[in-house]
Amino acid sequence: MRRRLLLATALVAALSLAAGCGGGSGGSSGGRVNIVLWHGYVDTEGKAINAAAALFNKTHPKIHITVQNYGNSDYALQKVLTAIRGGSYPDIVYLYGSWAANVARTPHAVDIAPLIKSDPSIHWNDFWPAERQAVTVGDKIIGVPALVDNLALVYNKKLFRQAGIPFPTASWTWDDLRAAAQKLTNPSAKQFGWAYVNDASEDTVWRFDALLWQAGGDILTPDDKHAAFNSPAGVKAATLLQQMATIDHSIYLDSGNDNYANLFNSGKIGMLFTGPWDLSQFPDVDYGVQILPGDQNHQTISGPDQWVMLDNGDARTKAAWTFLKWFTSPTEAMRWSLATGDLPIRASETKLPAYQAYVKRYNGIATFVQNEGNALKARPVLVDYNEISQAMGQAIQAVLLGKAQPKQALDQAAAQVNQVLAQGG
Amino acid sequence: MRPGRRILGSEHLAGWVFVLPATVLIVVFGIIPIGWVVLLSLQHNDLLAAPTWAGLSNYRELVHDPEFRDSVRRTIVYTALFVPISVGGALAVALLLHSEIRFNRFYRTAVFVPVATSTVATGILFNWLLDPTYGIANYLLGKVGLGPYGFFQDPDQALYAIVAMTVWGWLGFDVIIYLAALQGIPGDVLEAAALDGAGRWATFRHVVLPLLSPATLFLVVWSTINALQVFDEIYVTTRGGPLQATTVIVYELYNQAFALFHAGYAAAIALVLFLITLVFSVLQLWVGNRRVHYSS
Repeated sequence: MRRRLLLATALVAALSLAAGCGGGSGGSSGGRVNIVLWHGYVDTEGKAINAAAALFNKTHPKIHITVQNYGNSDYALQKVLTAIRGGSYPDIVYLYGSWAANVARTPHAVDIAPLIKSDPSIHWNDFWPAERQAVTVGDKIIGVPALVDNLALVYNKKLFRQAGIPFPTASWTWDDLRAAAQKLTNPSAKQFGWAYVNDASEDTVWRFDALLWQAGGDILTPDDKHAAFNSPAGVKAATLLQQMATIDHSIYLDSGNDNYANLFNSGKIGMLFTGPWDLSQFPDVDYGVQILPGDQNHQTISGPDQWVMLDNGDARTKAAWTFLKWFTSPTEAMRWSLATGDLPIRASETKLPAYQAYVKRYNGIATFVQNEGNALKARPVLVDYNEISQAMGQAIQAVLLGKAQPKQALDQAAAQVNQVLAQGG
Repeated sequence: MRPGRRILGSEHLAGWVFVLPATVLIVVFGIIPIGWVVLLSLQHNDLLAAPTWAGLSNYRELVHDPEFRDSVRRTIVYTALFVPISVGGALAVALLLHSEIRFNRFYRTAVFVPVATSTVATGILFNWLLDPTYGIANYLLGKVGLGPYGFFQDPDQALYAIVAMTVWGWLGFDVIIYLAALQGIPGDVLEAAALDGAGRWATFRHVVLPLLSPATLFLVVWSTINALQVFDEIYVTTRGGPLQATTVIVYELYNQAFALFHAGYAAAIALVLFLITLVFSVLQLWVGNRRVHYSS
């Protein structure tokens, strides 16, 4: 008797372990299609996505969407891949733009190019050009734009007044940037004119990309087969960084832990190249926003992210498409921007009445919206992009630290990139 | 009685059912992943598309990869510094704390606190302490006419800064082990040494140190395994930089697997690291066991 009880206890323990696995929440019940969306939103955006889902479910009785937070978006691709391996994955997932080429390789991602073609109500061309480029991989379109931002010049008005320099204008050149940064730098007060993220990550690279494009350069040759960033334009851009970092010492080199935002907010840094996501971190500073200083032009770089659809059968794909069309429609997208401060993802949103309220609510945001028109080029959408980015990051870091000359560093990175591109993945 | 009934009724079955949950956990989360890593290391696999068979080409590539070789070199430099400094330092601290001094309990707690602090918190703390411009470390060093140093932001200093930070973080653990071992030394042995006229140094050198040798062996092996696999502290501070100065083996593995999606290649790195760790541990245990004195 006692033994049998022991056996039963052990069995219960073993079974409950097995029961812990499995489960899933999508499917269809009673003519209603259930779909699941994964996102990494927290705080204001987290509330906004829940509100959007509730509104959609109320207005679309045939579909029920469940939104789930997958944690930090930085690791979303790994999580989604794990879910795909496990055979139970969401219908819609928020993924960074830089993963587009990787996403295109998985057979589970829905190619929405045919959907766009057969369903003009998405108004595809209303999305900003940089957003459309970012989701286009060869002849596939792997997602619907979810977020867009770009880099502009954010400056501390008080520090400019103290230094006796006029505020940056839309026609500022690199020389103006350098001169102002020098004047804003005060070693005894530990105050810097400019800040640059110097962790050799994509954060380091994309700010350089903007400078490269302004000088008339490109990351790769038009056929995506060779490196092109070691051109005279690239050397010119890297030389600007070198001079400001190692001669003027007017740049605060951020090690990648976002100290620059705190320092800007405490009035230790005069200017930043940053995007709208940072503005809420500067409550203590009277800041202004201007488009980036230019060389041959004033191009900026845009970092679009996307909603990727994963294939769980036709009924759920159709429901997911219905949701994304609704969620990214001008009215809903504007509602989102108004709640969160994110930039409008469609050009036509700027014509809506709510846009005026949005511009009023978020100081400096109008410049970022206009600046989206300066985002003319996109980073290459290649599976090997991360390797290209790492090689460039090392080169830029070496220049900023004064460990290498611009030409030498970029040539070395270009050789690495050419090797990666020649291997073809 | 039929044989079937005997098995069902036997204590064997109950025993097996009892160990079943633990066995399942170990197989699912231990054995299967290890087997999968071996398989993965023989594939070209980006975790996205269908994998292709690679044979030993990942390993061949590894041998000729200068970045991997550099990461091995840095890992060995790190280990060669971390292990003696943390174990030796812990011995010194434990000896101090073992003696009768005032506020002894406070010091013991203070030494152990870093071990209980999360790595992320430690990382953020050191990022600020060692910030070249605003950090308190440079401020204090400046007061005595030293610096300023770049610490985490200088490729020539970053690895040593990581050594300092991890020694600080792990010292308390080693100290606790040593304190326990010191308390385990029988008083009559020390008394006998004193009666034989041994001074403090001779007692330490010929009595205390040999009796601590099991603890020392454990700490050296354990610290070496930890040092060879150092990752968290680097991930939350330098992220392998600047200019890859702190890209150790596991960081390189992480980068290959989760930034570049070369999962097969990363699996090969993992297995090579496993072999390196195995060789070090076996060697240390082999040498150690000939010199360790276990008091009976």
